[in-house]
Formats: sequence, C-alpha cells, structure tokens
Amino acid sequence: MTIKRGGEGWSAWSIMAPALLLILVFIAAPFVLAIALSFTDQRLVPNPRLATRFVCLLNYERIVGDNGFLQAFKNTALFAVAVTPLQSGIALAMAMLVNARLPARNVLRGVYFLPTVVPMVVVSIAWACLFRLDGFFNQLLSFVTFGAAGPVDWLQNESTALPSIIALSAWQGFGFQMVIYLAGLQSINPELYEAARIEGAGRWGEFRHITMPGLRNTHIFVLVTTTIAAFKLFTQVHVLTQGGPRGSTNTVTRYLYEIGFSRGRVGQAAAVAVVFFIVVFAVSMAQRLLLKEDREGRS
Amino acid sequence: MRGLRNGLLAAALAMVGFAASAGEALKVWHHGGRVQAERETIEGILREWSRLNPDYPAEYVLLPEGAYNEQVQAAALANRLPDLLDFDASNYANYAWAGYLEPLNRYYPPEFFERFLPSILEQGLYAPDGQYYSLGWFDSGTGMWINRPALEKAGIRIPKGVDDPWSREEFEDALARLKAAGFDYPLDLKLNYGKGESFCYGFGPIIQSFGADIIDRETWIAAGTLDSDAAVEAMTMVQNWVRNGYVVPASLGDDAFYGSRKAAICYTGMWMWTPHRENLGDALGLVTMPNFKERQVSATGSWCWGVTTASRHKEKVAELLAFMMRDEYVLLTANVSGAIPSTMAAAAQSELYKKDGPMHVLIKQLEDGLGVPRPNHPGYPAITAAVAQAVADIVDGRDVREALSEAAAAIDMDIEDNQGYPPFGDR
Repeated sequence: MTIKRGGEGWSAWSIMAPALLLILVFIAAPFVLAIALSFTDQRLVPNPRLATRFVCLLNYERIVGDNGFLQAFKNTALFAVAVTPLQSGIALAMAMLVNARLPARNVLRGVYFLPTVVPMVVVSIAWACLFRLDGFFNQLLSFVTFGAAGPVDWLQNESTALPSIIALSAWQGFGFQMVIYLAGLQSINPELYEAARIEGAGRWGEFRHITMPGLRNTHIFVLVTTTIAAFKLFTQVHVLTQGGPRGSTNTVTRYLYEIGFSRGRVGQAAAVAVVFFIVVFAVSMAQRLLLKEDREGRS
Repeated sequence: MRGLRNGLLAAALAMVGFAASAGEALKVWHHGGRVQAERETIEGILREWSRLNPDYPAEYVLLPEGAYNEQVQAAALANRLPDLLDFDASNYANYAWAGYLEPLNRYYPPEFFERFLPSILEQGLYAPDGQYYSLGWFDSGTGMWINRPALEKAGIRIPKGVDDPWSREEFEDALARLKAAGFDYPLDLKLNYGKGESFCYGFGPIIQSFGADIIDRETWIAAGTLDSDAAVEAMTMVQNWVRNGYVVPASLGDDAFYGSRKAAICYTGMWMWTPHRENLGDALGLVTMPNFKERQVSATGSWCWGVTTASRHKEKVAELLAFMMRDEYVLLTANVSGAIPSTMAAAAQSELYKKDGPMHVLIKQLEDGLGVPRPNHPGYPAITAAVAQAVADIVDGRDVREALSEAAAAIDMDIEDNQGYPPFGDR
C-alpha cells in the first residue's frame, strides 16, 4: 500500500517535473531575484567603478512619491475597468452572432478573429493612420456632422488619448474572447432553449435566464484573463503615444520599461514590478473570491 | 609513434602561432548606416587597407543598428569587444567612462587633430582627462529649411549666410505672416520623431540659444541650468508657438513641409536633404539657425569611431583609423550618407557643402564654432530621457518651469545615485 502510494507520488512528480522546472527557472527564480534587486541600486550596465549597493526601501519610497507612477497606475486601472466589460461585451455579442444559423458563418468567424491574429504593433500603426488629423475618424466626424465638428487630434489630446487606445485594444482583442464564448455557447444544452420556447419565453428571456447563467464559468474565465491582459497594456501605448500627452496614457509596464531600460535603473524597476505584482495578484484573488466558479455544472 | 604524434602536434601549434602573429584580423564593428551604399563604401575602404596590410587585415562585422548599444554592452561584459568600433556620439561618454575606449592622443601627434572640424573634436573630448576618444567621417548639423517662394511672397527677409540670422522677433513675425498667408502650421519642428533622442538633439540648441544649457558642463549639475530662467524662457517660446497653432502636430506625419506643404519652415538636420530636394526642387532653401536671444547654436554629433581597450594591436588599429580618416575617404563616406564631411579639406571638395553648395551654411556654422555637442557625460542616457520627457510635456501644454525642474531633478538624482559617475564627481 505504502509502496504503491510512493510510486504514485513519484510518477506524479515526474509528470509535473518538466513544467515545474520551467516555471521555477523562468518565473519563480526571476521573481525572487526581482524582489532581491528591488532593495539595491542595481544598474542595467554594471560598471567596475561602482559596486551595486543595498539601498533598503529607497526604491519603494521613490515610486510611492512619484506622481508619474501614481498617474501610470491610475491610467492602467482605468484602462482595465473600461476595456474589460467593453471587450467582453463585444466578444459575447459577436459570439452570439456567429453562433446563429447564418449563411457563411465560418467565414464570419474567421473574419472577426482576424484582428487578434495580426500583431499588435501592426494594428497600432494601422490605427495611427486612422487617428491622424486628416485620417479616417476625422473625415467620418466631419461627414456625420456636416463639417460642424472640427478635426480632433485624437492621440495628442488628454481627454481622447486613453479612450482611443481603449477602443483600439477592444477591437484588436475581442476575437480571442469571442472564440471562448462561442465554445461556451455551444456547450449549453439546446433542449433548454426548446423548452423555454414552448413555455413562451421571448429572445430576451432566453438570453437572461438560459444563456447568461449557462455561461457563468466562461464569464469568470474571460473576466479574469481579460483583466490580467489589460494590466499588461504596453505595445499600443508605446507605439502610438509613448505615454503622452502629459502622461495621460502612461501605464505601469511602460513606466517600468522607461525606468529600467531608458534610464538604466534596474533596482527601481524591480521595485515597480514587485508592487505591480502584488496589486495584480490581489485583484485576481478578489475576483476569484467574489465569483465562485460553478463546479457542479448545470446542463 | 608517440614521437611522430608529438611532432605533428608541435607543427600544428607552430602553424596556429604563425597565423596568430602574422595574419590576425582586426575586427571592425559597424552599425550598417542608413543606406546600403554606406556599408559597401566602408567595406571597400577596409578591403583597401587589407590589401596594403596583409599582416593585419581588417574584418568588417555588421551589427544591426536597432540593438547596437545593447550588443556593445553585452560584448564588453563578455570581454568580446572588437578592435575598432563605431558608435553614436551620444553613447560615447558612457563607453569611455566604462573603460571600453582608448584615448587617442597617445597614438597621434597634435597636428593630426587639427584638420578636423572643431565640432568633431569636441564631440570626442572626454572631460575628466581632456583626451580625445573618438573620430568620425562626418558630422550632423541643423538649420531652418525654407520654402523660399512662400517666404518671399509673405515679405519675409531671408538670411544669406551665417552672419545675418533671424532674431526671435523676426522669426516669430515670419511665423505669424505665414499663418496669415494660409499655411495651416507654418513651422515643422519634427514632433513626429517622437519622444526620444531627437528631442534632446533638436531642442537643446534652442535652449542654448538663450544662454542656458541642458546641464552645467563644469559641475555636471542640471538644477539651475536646465530649469534656469533662460531655459524656461526658451521653452515658453516653443510652447507659445504650439499654442498659436504655428507648429505641425505629430499626428500630421513627416511630410508637412515637403509633401502636403502645410508648413513653410522646417527645423531639422541635414539628413532630410534628399526628400526635401526631391519634392521641393528649386523652391527649397536652407538658412542658418536663428539667434533667439544670446547666440546661434547648431546641433552636432553623429556616428564615430573609437579604438577599444580590448584590442591586442592598438598601435595597428590606430593606424587603421588614421587610414580611414584620409580626406578622400572622409569625402567618400560623407557623400554617400549626405552628412557633413569631418575635415575641412574634404568639405571644400563636397558638392553639397563646398563654398556655394546648397548646405554650405551647415558646415560654416560648425567651422565658426556654433555647434554645441550633447553633454559628454556617462549619465547621458538619463539626461536624454529626462529632457525628452520635459519637451514632450511642454509641447502638450504643461507648465514649463515645472517640467524643466522635474527633468533637472531626475538628471541630478541619477548622477547622485551613481556617486557622480567617478571620476566625474572628483573634479
């Protein structure tokens, strides 16, 4: 009996080993290192004339006292709060659309998934043209308002820059969630809809009482992954606004990049990473606690 | 049997030894340049050297520009630096400080340096020991490119040489007239280049024109210099241009001056010669930097060469560098890249920069000592990042003094954190 249990444990460990090793080497070890570095003044390029010193909590004090960091943090949170429901909403709507018995729905599924396949840098550059002063959005605006509304410098304006990035990001990213929702929709038992229809439920009633509850686990998964992805916002901002105008689109990851790579302050960047990790971890834990997954299954 | 094997081994070792002593290649690292022709020209020069010096042939190694600095730093960590290295002027002080580069003075007589432009020499001068660490084939320079007929029509005086620059009043009057004449954004400041090195490069001269600077070059303290009244005045002027709608917004792209012609004046460097000339033709003009308050200042600096401390044949590498810096090669490479030739003799023969050439004013500015190099300080990466941030914020309407003070504080904090970058702090 004991021998068998030992054997099981051994085989379990041997199956876990490759993944565990990779996680330890590429995720756990760098993270522990980052915590250690965050208490030093480690430079990006070490210099023989200057040894790395232990600086205690100096890096953390500087971050907390830096308006740029607080602003970046606020922007990131705002982005996550705005983009998550928007992106998930579009994804759900599109999933229901391509789940309907439309002609050529496989083509539509592919078309809606396209933006997700295109690299973010390419999408950003394409949208930069749309956002230009003489670009598509301004021409549309002028057309719709019969020339009454003047051109808006979308990315150079503090009030429109972040919303522009949110719109772009939701458009680029929704395809992934759409596919997940599609899988979720197809796992709902069609008999439930038939029964509802016999009972005389309308479309809205079907959606509220069958589709939404049936997608509960999918919702949770989509919500958690989209939130975490939103916190990592970097590429669009780096390509389009470089954090401007006046820091209104700066994000924590871009702040970290500037501190660590442009200014070569690896110690301080490590402190940013540690703080950021704690916050993201807390947010996803809170989501886990608030949104209990339905393990029983309904259908 | 054993004897035979030992004999063979000895012979093999002797051959290896022979190869090492007589035919060792000098490794030359290059970032590739902007055009294919630049690379080919350099390879040609190195081939010529190798033909004349078969014992020490030069081996061309191309490293992509995108991650050039990172590769140099990584090579230095791994003790794998080449013999001769090219690098952007803005990185050079950091390399010299880190001990990657040899001072050049010990390899050449003082006369050797005299034929170079002052700006090239000053760019390679390292403050702590007063020695030269780099030499280049070419330099950069900035001026005001103009749409000549547009300015003439608006009744604006066009400076003829370096000695009759626009004053601030004249320049701002010109902008107002051009705006009234229907130019949407009369002045292109190349904001589309984005928040990077170009901001420190391009806006530094405007700040210096008011008598201020980015950092005090004696004490290496930014506070009191970058946020001095003169610097605030300079950047307030720029901010007002933006407020008055004179400046091309970044979102309008690169061609507002030479393509859509929404701008009539463009402040940028010599590298825009080809697009400007091709699109504007004879309408194109280039005038000297305005004297905004105290002096005219041109930006300077470009890629240049240095001998590494890692080289095992430094004398020979210095000889190679001197060979590369012959006037004929200076002229050749400068022509290919469109940049300013680094020696007076080569410049005199350059079609673009000779006495009545279309870009002569740029080299005249440098000859007259109007070029101010970017700070030759190992903390330059932090300096340029802070200045770029401040310029971007000011253009976007932030309080000028606040933005400059914050940048100065960030620079000073970096220098302090690095204990003044000794030996800089020892002065």
